[in-house]
Amino acid sequence: MERRLEISVSAGTEVASCRMEGGAARWRFPSRWAIHAAAGVSSGAVSNLVSHFADRLDVPPGPPPPATDLDPSPGWVDWARNLTDRLVDRGAIVRYLSRRAVVIRRDGWRQVTSPSLVRIETGPDVGGALLAVWGQPRLGDWIRAVFEAAPAKGWSPPPGLQVPVVLTNGTAGALLHELVGHLVEGDLIAAGRSPLAGLGGANLTEAEIDVVDDPGRTDLPGAFDTDDEGVPAKPVTLVRSGRLCGLLCDRETAELCDVDPGRGRRADWRHPPVPRLSNLVISSGSESPEALEADQSRGLVITRISGATVDPVSRRTVLRVERGFEIRNGRRRRPLNPFELTGGVTEILAGIDPAVGNDPTPDWRLGWCVKDGLPLPTGSEAPTILVRRLEVL
Amino acid sequence: MSTPRDQGDRAGRLRKAVDSCSSLLDASNAKRWEVFAKASLTRQTDFVDGKLRRTAQIEESGLGVRFFDGDRAGFAAASSLDPSAARTAVDAARAGATPSSDPMPPPRLLGTTTIPPGPKMPAQGWAQYITSELEIALATVSSGGLRLGRAIVQEGSYRWNLSTAEDWSAEHDRMVASILVEVLVDDRPGTWREWIHIPDPSTFDAASLAARIGNRALLTRHKIATDQGLHDLILHPEVSAQLMAGISPLFLATHVDSDPLPGLLDTNGLLSAYALTVVDDRSDASAPVVSPCDGEGLPGGRTLLLDEGAPRHRVASYSDARRFDEVPRGGAVRFSYRDRPSTGFANLRILTHDGMPAGELLAASTRALYLLRPLAPVICDLERDTYSLIASGVWLDRQRIRGWHPVVELSGSLGTLLRRIDAVGTDLSWFQTPRGFVGAPSLLVRRQPVVG
Repeated sequence: MERRLEISVSAGTEVASCRMEGGAARWRFPSRWAIHAAAGVSSGAVSNLVSHFADRLDVPPGPPPPATDLDPSPGWVDWARNLTDRLVDRGAIVRYLSRRAVVIRRDGWRQVTSPSLVRIETGPDVGGALLAVWGQPRLGDWIRAVFEAAPAKGWSPPPGLQVPVVLTNGTAGALLHELVGHLVEGDLIAAGRSPLAGLGGANLTEAEIDVVDDPGRTDLPGAFDTDDEGVPAKPVTLVRSGRLCGLLCDRETAELCDVDPGRGRRADWRHPPVPRLSNLVISSGSESPEALEADQSRGLVITRISGATVDPVSRRTVLRVERGFEIRNGRRRRPLNPFELTGGVTEILAGIDPAVGNDPTPDWRLGWCVKDGLPLPTGSEAPTILVRRLEVL
Repeated sequence: MSTPRDQGDRAGRLRKAVDSCSSLLDASNAKRWEVFAKASLTRQTDFVDGKLRRTAQIEESGLGVRFFDGDRAGFAAASSLDPSAARTAVDAARAGATPSSDPMPPPRLLGTTTIPPGPKMPAQGWAQYITSELEIALATVSSGGLRLGRAIVQEGSYRWNLSTAEDWSAEHDRMVASILVEVLVDDRPGTWREWIHIPDPSTFDAASLAARIGNRALLTRHKIATDQGLHDLILHPEVSAQLMAGISPLFLATHVDSDPLPGLLDTNGLLSAYALTVVDDRSDASAPVVSPCDGEGLPGGRTLLLDEGAPRHRVASYSDARRFDEVPRGGAVRFSYRDRPSTGFANLRILTHDGMPAGELLAASTRALYLLRPLAPVICDLERDTYSLIASGVWLDRQRIRGWHPVVELSGSLGTLLRRIDAVGTDLSWFQTPRGFVGAPSLLVRRQPVVG
């Protein structure tokens, strides 16, 4: 059962708020899963929900409804209104997103708590410009970055150029979200549809990095204390010293992959839980980010990414670069115009340089992750990473 | 699934919910109000490797309230149709009201248009039946080269009621169906994904759908090849749809000082070649969104946006039309009770009455890059007259396939691209895009620079 609150503020229109409540009963038959979902969390709504499975269901007595502490602190609307007024020429929408849930199983129940989020969208891009935990100490800095104008005159690297690329300012988190996070999700692994399927224990990269999916990082948007199947949250190490060692599974795929569950996440009460990542945290190295750039005679440094995808047919990734610089003789030269980088999944991982930055940085730009059309908040934190070769599209 | 009796119950429950809101709003200081109540039932059936894996039945309902007290306006929504939901929404709309002029259209503009009756819900077992048929048809059309890995069938029906303080009311009900398929091509590791809108389940044809999937998916079996230089482009409908989504902000009402459209027009005032005519159409029975009125009660219908390359009208909600000095034509969308009505497209569509069959389109070029599927949304910088299109495609030499190009980017002047559209196909299909549903056919674009 779930309660949600979404408040949206945009310049020139009335404040909109939406309170949603609903629940879903799920039952495992010998041959299939069956789900019945309906609006409402009143005792009548829940009775109606479980009546479909009354002959099979054994609900523990007295489970509480989801908590009701959804509302933002006083003044949030004024804060958001001020922001949309300052961003009026970019058609900004500022949203407050809050969620509480409870998972009831035969063996008991657990409340699900996750941090409230603030999301800023700016037109004409439909996607978000910022996603962060409301109350994050660095939120003010990130909002200032949203306001920063793009360089008036940038350089467009020529298509086909293959160069070393330094991913700084937390942008490596977005890359590894696609290349590791999604590709170790249990449904893709169990169906053999991930390029990383069957590579458990293999060395993906020379870099001795650890990649951990950590829902306990409550400063990042993908945090929760219990997953949507009632499994207490704990970090899962996906890559240890460059070697693939973990998977992200819900209860169903955990059985198939023979690992622990804990990443069954629902887009909302209307959708079943599926394996999804939470907050991807990449371990830091010892190099200063400046030294990584200084070592390059010719290359690119990326400071902001606006999107990343992996094509399921060709298994190549496409990174949309929003901001960055050309590197010549170890120094930043011309700013870059928006452009795209591409490469094969395993080739990019293999091309991560062993020298890793000592500057763990959360990403605020991306985070609204969409899988099979269903969005969920996720987060990442990464140091500066050098990929020895990526191709400009 | 829903029965006639369910439908009757649903209409009654919606009216009762609207009445609950109406009583609360009439007892308040509301000068004007509007209530939108919606209830839907969706059944989703998942198959993996031909076996039923999961069934889900989702009942959703809720209501949204817009409120204006003469000085302030507010909007709030709450799920369920219970009296408590009505109170939650009304109280929140009043509590959250902020200084504003009246955002709602005047009663004289409200009305409905007649739309064709919708198809009936398919019988129980339809999802299993079409999945089995599709599995066989895919194997047949590809001589075993294609295998259905996963299929998700969605069938659903919804009903809504839009009522205002002035006793104006509209109701509408419809069924919707779609299928998402993941197809395995030979022994390749990747999967081919395709979402298909099914306008009428009674006319679903598994063989033609399998041919449609196979026509593209099988092309990725060819060896990888690259090329560059000036080439004709043939855009598959899915790529055309993403391009339309990219340029669609040009068809939204905006402030004259920030309007990028004039800067994209040629000396004859054309945005594109004559081949392109674009509409937003709520009355098309084959489209995903069919409605007798827009999201705030203006009569629905077809809005001509681009007429043989010449810009005509803009889409706008009532308040945006007033703000940007446009004539209100019913351009507010409201897909859910959760949404405040806002400017947007119901079904953005390229007209194909002067089009040519896709086969002729492919034959119309001796050397072309056939863009099969987009790999990311098409980015159009309307201010700077640039576009960036990332797709996979195949190289065609005299209608023979020379090779598959897994990732290719095209970029350049958006205006030049649009003015080089030489022909449209007749193979219109519907796609989900970041800008909503877009119906698009294949497009033939002459002489575009391609970098390998």
